[in-house]
Amino acid sequence: MITLQSSDKDVFEIEQSILIQSGTIKNMVEDDFTFIPLPSVDTETLIKIIEYMKKHADKTDSKEKNIKEFDKDFMKKTLNELFALVFAANYLHISSLLELLYPSIADRIKDKITEAIRQIFSIRCDFTPEEERRIIMDNKWAHEGTEIEGTLD
Amino acid sequence: MDSAPLLSVLNEDLLIRILSFISHDPDRKAFRLVCKTFLRVDSFHRTHLRILRPEFINTLLSKFPRIYSLDLSACPQIDDGAVAMLVGNGLLPDWCRRLKRLVLSRSTGLKSAGLEMLIRSCPLLEAIDVSYCWSFGDREAAALSFGGSLRDVKMDRCLGLTDVGLAKIAIGCQCLEKLCLKWCIEITDLGIDLLSKKCRELKELDISYLKVTSMSLRSVSSMEKLEHLAMVGCGIVDDEGLHYLGKGCPSLQALDVSRCDRLSSSALAFLINGHPSMLQIYASHCFHEFPTKVVQGLKDLKNLKTLILDGAPVSESLFKIINFNCKYLIEIGLGKCKGVTDKGIFQLVSGGVNLNILNLTCCSELTDDAISAIADSCRSVLCLKLECCNSVTEKSLYLLGLHCSFLEELDLTDCFGVNDKGLYYLSKCTKLVCLKLGLCANITDKGLYYVARNCSEIRELDLYRCKGIGDDGLYAVSSGCKRLQKLNLSYCSEITDRGIECLGHLPELSDLEMRSLLNVTGTGLTALATRCKRLAELDLKDCANIDDSGFMALAYYSRNLQQINLSHCSISDVGLCMVMGNLTRLQDAKLVNLYNVSTNGFEVALRASCVRLKKVKLIASMRLQLTPDIVQTLRARGCRIRWD
Repeated sequence: MITLQSSDKDVFEIEQSILIQSGTIKNMVEDDFTFIPLPSVDTETLIKIIEYMKKHADKTDSKEKNIKEFDKDFMKKTLNELFALVFAANYLHISSLLELLYPSIADRIKDKITEAIRQIFSIRCDFTPEEERRIIMDNKWAHEGTEIEGTLD
Repeated sequence: MDSAPLLSVLNEDLLIRILSFISHDPDRKAFRLVCKTFLRVDSFHRTHLRILRPEFINTLLSKFPRIYSLDLSACPQIDDGAVAMLVGNGLLPDWCRRLKRLVLSRSTGLKSAGLEMLIRSCPLLEAIDVSYCWSFGDREAAALSFGGSLRDVKMDRCLGLTDVGLAKIAIGCQCLEKLCLKWCIEITDLGIDLLSKKCRELKELDISYLKVTSMSLRSVSSMEKLEHLAMVGCGIVDDEGLHYLGKGCPSLQALDVSRCDRLSSSALAFLINGHPSMLQIYASHCFHEFPTKVVQGLKDLKNLKTLILDGAPVSESLFKIINFNCKYLIEIGLGKCKGVTDKGIFQLVSGGVNLNILNLTCCSELTDDAISAIADSCRSVLCLKLECCNSVTEKSLYLLGLHCSFLEELDLTDCFGVNDKGLYYLSKCTKLVCLKLGLCANITDKGLYYVARNCSEIRELDLYRCKGIGDDGLYAVSSGCKRLQKLNLSYCSEITDRGIECLGHLPELSDLEMRSLLNVTGTGLTALATRCKRLAELDLKDCANIDDSGFMALAYYSRNLQQINLSHCSISDVGLCMVMGNLTRLQDAKLVNLYNVSTNGFEVALRASCVRLKKVKLIASMRLQLTPDIVQTLRARGCRIRWD
C-alpha cells in the first residue's frame, strides 16, 4: 500500500497496482518510496484522480464498455475542475487521462467567439486595439487551412 | 480577473495539446485573438498556411516560425514577378529554408523561370503540387528537377510534359516516392522506362489516361517498392501488361485498372494470384461480362479491404466468395452493376462482414429487405450510396436511423420512395455530414425540418430539383445546420427571396448552386451577398429575374468569390464590369448568353479581370466579336477560354 498526501495534508492509502498508472508515482515506488507527498494537487482533485485510476486499473475485455461509459461521465465536470485535472494528470504523468481531457476541454471552447473564450479561461485581453486590428487584418490575408498531420517525416 | 493564475496552471505545453484538437478555421481565429499567450501558442503550433494574396506572404510568414507547408493555389495569378518578390530577390527569407511542402495547383501564370527560382530557394522541399498548370511542359519539368529532395510530385494535367521533361525529373529527383502523371498525354513508354530505372524508391505512381502500352507495365513491374499503381483509362494496355505486373511489383498493395477496355478477367486473376496480400482493387467499368476468374481469384485475397467493380455484371457467387474469404473488406463498389439482388446482399453481409462504404448506385432491383440486412449487419457503416434505388422506402430509413448511428454520407438521389416520414426516421442519424436528396419529388419542407433539427453536423446538402422544398425548408436548414458549406437548390422553383435571405444565417456557406430560381430577385441576392462572407462558388444560371441591384451587392460584398456562373442572367454592362472588376479573387467565370451585355461590355469586364482570371466560358459567337487583343492578353496570362 502506498500513501499519498494532498496539498491540503489529507492522506490516502491506495494499492500499488492501481497507482502505477501514474508515471511519476511509478518512478517513486521503484525508488522504494511508500509515502508520496503531492504539494501541487489538492484533495478534491486527488480524489477524482484516484477514482479514475481505480476504474482503469482493471482492464479486462468485458469491462471495456463500462470504462467507456465511466470516461464519458467523468468528463462531465466544470471547466475549472477539468483544468485542475489536466494540471494534476500532467504532473503525475497519467497519459490516458490527459488524452481524454484534451479533446474534452477543446470541445468546450469550440464554436465560441473570442470574448466567450476569454470568459471561460478568465483571461483579460492584453492586446492594444491597434494590435487586435493587426491580427484581424492578418487573418484576412491568409485563410488558415487544416493542419497537416505529420505526413512528411 | 487576471490572466496570471489560470495560465500559470495551463502552461503553453498543455495549451498546445488542447489546441491540436481544434482544427476548425473559425475556432482557430477566435483563439488567436484571446490574448498574447494564445496568439503565441497558435503561431508556434501552425505548420500549414493557405494564402489568398501573395503580396503579404513575407510579413505573414515571419509571424509563424514553424510553417513548413504552404498552399498558394488560391492566390490570384502567381507569376514570375510575384515569386521574385516572395524569395526576396536574393536574400532568402527564413521560411524558404524550412519549407517542405508547396501547393501551386492551377498557378497557370507561373513560368519555368519563376518555378526554378522557387525550387532553388527551398532546399528542403519534399512535396510539390503543380497539378492543372496546363501549360507546364519540359522547361518547367527541368525547373522541378533541381529539387533534389523532392519525394512527392503531382503533375496532373501538365499537358506539355513529354518524355524529355520526365527524364529530367527522373534523373534530378531520385528520391521520388510519389508521382502523379495523370493526363500528361504526351508521355510514352520511353519516359516510363527511364523513370523505372532511375527512381527506385517509387511507392505510388499514377499513369492514368496516358497513351502507354504494355511495355510501360513491363518497366513498372521492375519497381520493387511500388505499392500503389493507378492506370485508369489506359486504353492501349492489354493483358500482356497485366502479365508483366503479375510477375513483378512484389510490394504492390493497391491497383486501379478502371476503364481499361482491353483487359480481361483472366489476366487480372493472374495478377491477383501473384499478389495475395493485395489490399485494394479498383476495376470499375472494365468488364462487360461477369469476371468469373477474378471473382474466383478473390478466394486468395484474405486481407482485401477495398473492391470496386462498378459497371460489371455480377452474380451471387461473387457475394458468397467475398463473404467467405474476404473477412476484412470494408469498402465495396457495385455501382451500376447488373444482377445485384436482395439475396446477393444478404449473402454479402451475413455473418458480420462489417462494411463501412457501400456503393449501390443504380442497383434498382434492391428493396427494403436488402437495406434492412445492411443496417442490421454493418452497424458502423459510414457511407451508403443508393442513387436510383427506387424501391427503397421509409422502412429502410427507419432501420438506418435505428441501427446505423455512425452514418456520415448518404446518397438518395432519385429515390422515388423517400418521403417526409422517411426523413423523420433518418434524422436519428445525427452524425450525417453529406446528404443527397436530389430528384426526390416526394419530400417537402416538413421532412427537411426533421433533418435540420437533428443533424447539426451536415456540411453538404443536395436538394437538386426537389420541387416540394420552399422557403420554410430553408429557414429550418439555416437554423439547424450551422456547419453547412455546400448547398444545391437548383430548380427548387418554390424558393423566393425570403428563403435566400435565410441562407445568410449560415456562417460557413461557401458553395451554393441555385440555378433557375425564377422567384428570386435582386433583393434576395443582396441579402445573401451581405451576410455569407465565405461564399466562394456561386451558380446563378438561368436566374433571369435577378436585376443589377443584386449583382452590385455581389460585387461589393462577396470578396471571397472564386467561381461564378452568370449564364443566362439579366446582368447589364455595368453590373458585369463591377462583378469582374471588383471581385479580386474571382478566377473562374461562366458568362454564356448574357443578353443584356454588349460586346463592349464584355471587353471592359474581361480587361478588368484578365490579371486574375484562370478560366472563362463564353458563347462561341463572341470569338468573332471580341478584339483579338483581349483574347491574346487572356491567353498570355494563362487563362483558359472555353467557347460554348
